[in-house]
Parts: sequence; structure tokens; C-alpha cells
Amino acid sequence: MVEIIILTPFLAGIIAFFISKTAGRRLLVMVGALHLTASILIWVKRPAPPLPDYFAITPEGLLSLISISLLFFLISIYSTGYLRAEESHSASGAPHAETIKHESVFIGSMMLFLSTMTMVTLSDHMMVMWIAIEATTLASAPLIYSHRTATSLEATWKYVIICSVGIAVALLGSIFIALAMDVGKVTAPVSFSAITSVAKELDPMWLKTGFVFILVGYGTKMGLAPMHTWLPDAHSEAPSPASALLSGVLLNCAYLGIFKTDKIMHAAGLGEFSGAILMVFGLISILAAATFIMKQTEYKRLLAYSSIENMGIIAFGTGIGGMGAYGAMLCLIHHSLIKSSLFLTSGNMLIGYGSGLIKKTGNLVTLMPKSFVAFFAGFVGISGFPPFGIFIGEFFIIMAAFNSGHFVAAGIFIFSLCIIFAGFSNQVMKISFGPSESDTIHLKESASMVWPQYVLLITSMILCFWMPDSLYQTIISAVAAMGGVR
Amino acid sequence: MIYSVDTILSLALLSSLFALGSSRLPGLIKVVGFQGVVVSIVPIFIDHNVTSGAVTFYMFTMSIRGVVIPLSIYLLIRKIAIRREVEPIIGYHASLFAGLLLIVASSIMNHRLVLPSTTSSVLLMPTALTILVTGMFILMARRNAIAMVLGYIMMENGIYLVGTTFSMGTHHIVEFGILLDVLAGVMIMAIMLENMKQKFDDVDTLYLSELKE
Repeated sequence: MVEIIILTPFLAGIIAFFISKTAGRRLLVMVGALHLTASILIWVKRPAPPLPDYFAITPEGLLSLISISLLFFLISIYSTGYLRAEESHSASGAPHAETIKHESVFIGSMMLFLSTMTMVTLSDHMMVMWIAIEATTLASAPLIYSHRTATSLEATWKYVIICSVGIAVALLGSIFIALAMDVGKVTAPVSFSAITSVAKELDPMWLKTGFVFILVGYGTKMGLAPMHTWLPDAHSEAPSPASALLSGVLLNCAYLGIFKTDKIMHAAGLGEFSGAILMVFGLISILAAATFIMKQTEYKRLLAYSSIENMGIIAFGTGIGGMGAYGAMLCLIHHSLIKSSLFLTSGNMLIGYGSGLIKKTGNLVTLMPKSFVAFFAGFVGISGFPPFGIFIGEFFIIMAAFNSGHFVAAGIFIFSLCIIFAGFSNQVMKISFGPSESDTIHLKESASMVWPQYVLLITSMILCFWMPDSLYQTIISAVAAMGGVR
Repeated sequence: MIYSVDTILSLALLSSLFALGSSRLPGLIKVVGFQGVVVSIVPIFIDHNVTSGAVTFYMFTMSIRGVVIPLSIYLLIRKIAIRREVEPIIGYHASLFAGLLLIVASSIMNHRLVLPSTTSSVLLMPTALTILVTGMFILMARRNAIAMVLGYIMMENGIYLVGTTFSMGTHHIVEFGILLDVLAGVMIMAIMLENMKQKFDDVDTLYLSELKE
């Protein structure tokens, strides 16, 4: 099962490079459906993976896997609508933003990207995880370069260089942790689960160094400030379905690397050390997002900065531990659901208005009513209001911060969230209700271009009120190492 | 055996200085290729029980790090680069001086680090760190995109050398995966360099500053 779920999208991705457009689109949805079925089966049955030194099914991995699957399936449906709309759009000769130039490359890379991300969630060996995370960078680079423009080339270049160097730093960190085993005279596989079980015997100096390097390395990929500079460029230049994948699940994959290393630190009794660093990076990210969100002129960049903010929130919550880590996990899941829906809607807006600038938009509520519902609900959710799940996640994090006596940090946290809400809502109001330059919209809001967003938002809403017991238990066992929920 | 390792490593150490001082891309490529060869043969001298499988793997590593990667970059330059200057942001003399300081710093650091007792060569860690940081330095202090890619490769070489300090034993499959990733990464960067040449008629990263707040 485990090998099938990694290999199927990989092979399908390679095939997609050589087949026609319509066949490629069908294959994309089929692979999405197949992947979702397989992950549900893995979730229910929890089979033992082959090569147990390298792969394992962990609660945190399962959570990421199931969200990747669900998101990819919905995004694949959206993509077919998006590609069709873009096609008819450029055929009509309307003024438009850039279009995807080589569709077979786009679809093939989407599936390779899915395969590599799946490998990240299932890998247990430190180096295998590194290989998988670096592979996600390589598989997603063609996606960002889809428009083949000068700016998209710049975004892709920054993405590949900054992330490759960042991830190389993480490799160094992984080697340092392996050194910590050698110095501590421990012989065990270099896998997260094995190291966690012998964490007490490792050399603390090398372990701490390794953690810092891994945090900086994977933090670059996760979008933590001040290593986030590639993120707004890449997310705004990629076509919207790809942006939704990048923001919704790729960032989670990088977080998984940090989370698993943090587990080792907790097991070694160095949880205070790693927690403090995570909290600092988290707060810097939230503050950086707050400063940049205020003066944004493009809506996709706005969403990208909101992703940086949410990654900061997640890092902050993980750093606090206990109930905060539980909140961080909730934020992780709901951020995936809500932010990907927002990015998909931004695709509708991009085709509809023909521009990514906020000042070219306006009056979304009457021009594209269906997209407006998804956009506005997404905004409410991402700002941390009920009935969406981020509300509960942030609530738990703030509670945990106060309970553990981090009053100043909690103060900065709440203050920045307020600023972000103010800046974000200002822009959203302009887009939704402000005057628009012209009343012509180049988009027919077909079902496949609005329903995926609705499904994502409704899922978040349902999970806010009622969580299946197996999901709850999985989250609890994922954060058990960080002090658990009392 | 140990002395021969130190001889090779000291050459690699000096080649970092050469890389920092070289103003032209072909010189930089030669250094990267040489370091690629050195880092892939050092494990043969250090490993106490060399099996034939291990030797095959090291030879394979050498052909990728020492031949395939530098050669592909070299062919790329012949294809696209008109000007072969590395366009320094930090001058060559300052870079060289920084390189010297770096060697001193990494030697001092090596004394303070607690290394596993299996590490036999005194020069291994300082050389690895120097190559690594030199790569990072070139990545940041040169504007030419090809020089940046070479800096990245140098950095990867340094990391690989750090990796040889611990007993890798049966990790060859994993090492192979890492190598494949690096190779694929360099290939993707090469494709992007070609695109850059087509779009801007140059590979100066000065052209890549459209996107900002």
C-alpha cells in the first residue's frame, strides 16, 4: 500500500508528459481520486510499510497525508475547470494575465509533486526525508515557471536557489544529529522513531546544533521569517492550482521535518531549548507578515504573507508545547483547507479581472457572486473567526501561552494578529465591495471552479464542531511527545 | 594512509582560496570538479573495511561529482555565456582575505568540537567546513548566476565531506538518493540558466529584481 501510493502518482506523472491535453486532465483527476482512496485505506488499516528502517506510518505523517490527498483531489477537479477557462479565455482574445504555456509539463509536475510530498509524509529515515523534501522543490519548480514570463523565471530561480541552499543546511543538521549518535556511542538506524527512543543517550551539544540547522533549513522551506523571501514571489507567480498546493500542503511537509526533530529534542529532555527557538522564529514570522500585509498591492501576495503568518502561528504553538502543540496541529489542518480554497478562488479572480493587482479588482460581490462567497468565507476563516477551525487552534495556543506564563510572547502574538486582521480586512473590503474599473468579467463561474472551494470550507467548518474520534486520537498521539493535552 | 588523506585534503583546502580569487568561470569550474573528486575519494582512505560494493559506489560518486556535474556546467558556459566574468559583489582581495580567516576559524573550531573517535584525519572537518562556507560565500558574493550554481555545488561537496566523518556503514542507498537529488537540482538550475539567457540575453542576476514589495 505504502509503495503504491508513492509510485502511482510518480509513474502517472511521467506518463502525463507524453499524452494529450484532455487525457492528461482526466489522468490528473483519476490519480487524485486513487490517491485519496489509498490514503483513506492507509488511515483505516495502518499497514506496516516495507523497508521499516526508511519508512513508517506516524500519526503526524498520517495527518499530513490525508490533507494532501483531500486537497490534491479537489485541486485536480478545480484544475480541469481552470485550464478549460484559461483556454476559452485566450481563444476569445480577451485581455488577460498570463496563461500556462506547456500543459503537459504542468500536469506531469503536479503528479510528481504529489508523489514526492507523499514520500515526505511516510518517510522515517532522516536522510530519506531530506531526499523527499528536496525532491518536492525540484518537482514544484516547473509549476512555478508555468507562465514562462520574466517574473515567473525570477520567482522560480529564487525558489530553487533559496530552498536548495536552505535544505542543504538541513542536510548538514541531519548529519550533525547522526554525529550526535556517534559521539554518544549509540548504534541505531538514523530514523526519527529510532533516534527518539534513544534520544537520552545522544550527545546534547551536537543534538542542539543539529536542531538549529534543521530548523533554519526546513524553516526556509516552511516560510519562517527571515528566510521567507522566496515565498511571496513563488506563490504569486505560480498558477493558482499550484499556489494552492504550495501553500496548502508543501509548507506542511517542511513543517513535518521540524516537528519530528522537535520530538527528538523533547525525548532528549531539551524541549525547553527547542521550544524557545521555535517560539522566537514563530513570532518573527507573524510580525514580518503583519508589516508586509499592511501595504500589499497584489491579492496573491497578500495570501502568501498570510501563509507566512500561519506558519509562524504553528511554529509558535509547537514551541509552547502541550495544549499549544495541539492547537498548532489544528491550525495546520485548517490552514491547509482554508488557504488552499482562498488560492483557488484567487485563480477565478485572476481570470475574471485579468490582473493580480488589488486596484484592478472590486465589486466581487456582484461581479462573481459564487467566488465571492468562497473568498469572503475563506477570509473569515483565515482571520481566526468561528465557525472555522483556525479559531479553535489559535484559542488553544493563546490559552497555552498564558498557562505556561509566556505573557509577553502572548501579548505580541495577539497584537500582531490584530494588525494582520486590520490590514487583511481593509484589502478584502476593497476587493469585495469597492468600486471596480469595469463591469466586464471574463469568467463563467462553472461548478468545477467553485465547488472545490466550498467543499474545503465546509470540511473546515464541520471539523470545527465535530471531529471524528480517530482524527482526535491521531492528533493527540502526534503531540503526546510535546507534553500532551492536559 | 592517513598522511595521503591529509595531503589531498590540504590541496582541496587551498583550492577553496583559488576559487575565491578566480575571476573567470572556467577556473571556478575546475576547482569545483577537483573538489568533487577529492570529496568522493577521501572515504576510500578513511573507511577501514572497504568492500567492492563500497568502492563501486565511491567511483560512481566521483563520476557524478567530479565529471558529470562540472562538465555539464562547462558545456552550458560554452553554449550560453558571452562574458565569463563572475561579477563580484565583494572584491577578489576581500574574498581571499575572508577565505584565509575562514580557514583559521574552522581550524580553531575543529579543536573545540567533540568528534567521534573514529575520525582519523585532523584536516577532514576544517576542510569540509571551509569548502562548505566558501560555497555559501560565492553564492552570496557573486552576481553571475552560473557562479551561484557553482557555489551551491561547492556547498554540497562540503556537506558530503562532513558526512564522511561519521561511520556511514550501510548508508550507501541513502547517499545515492542524495546524490541523485543534487544532480537533478543542478540540471534544473541549468535549464533555468538557459531560459534566463533567452529572456535577458545574460545570466546576471541583476535582471532578476523585478519582484519586490
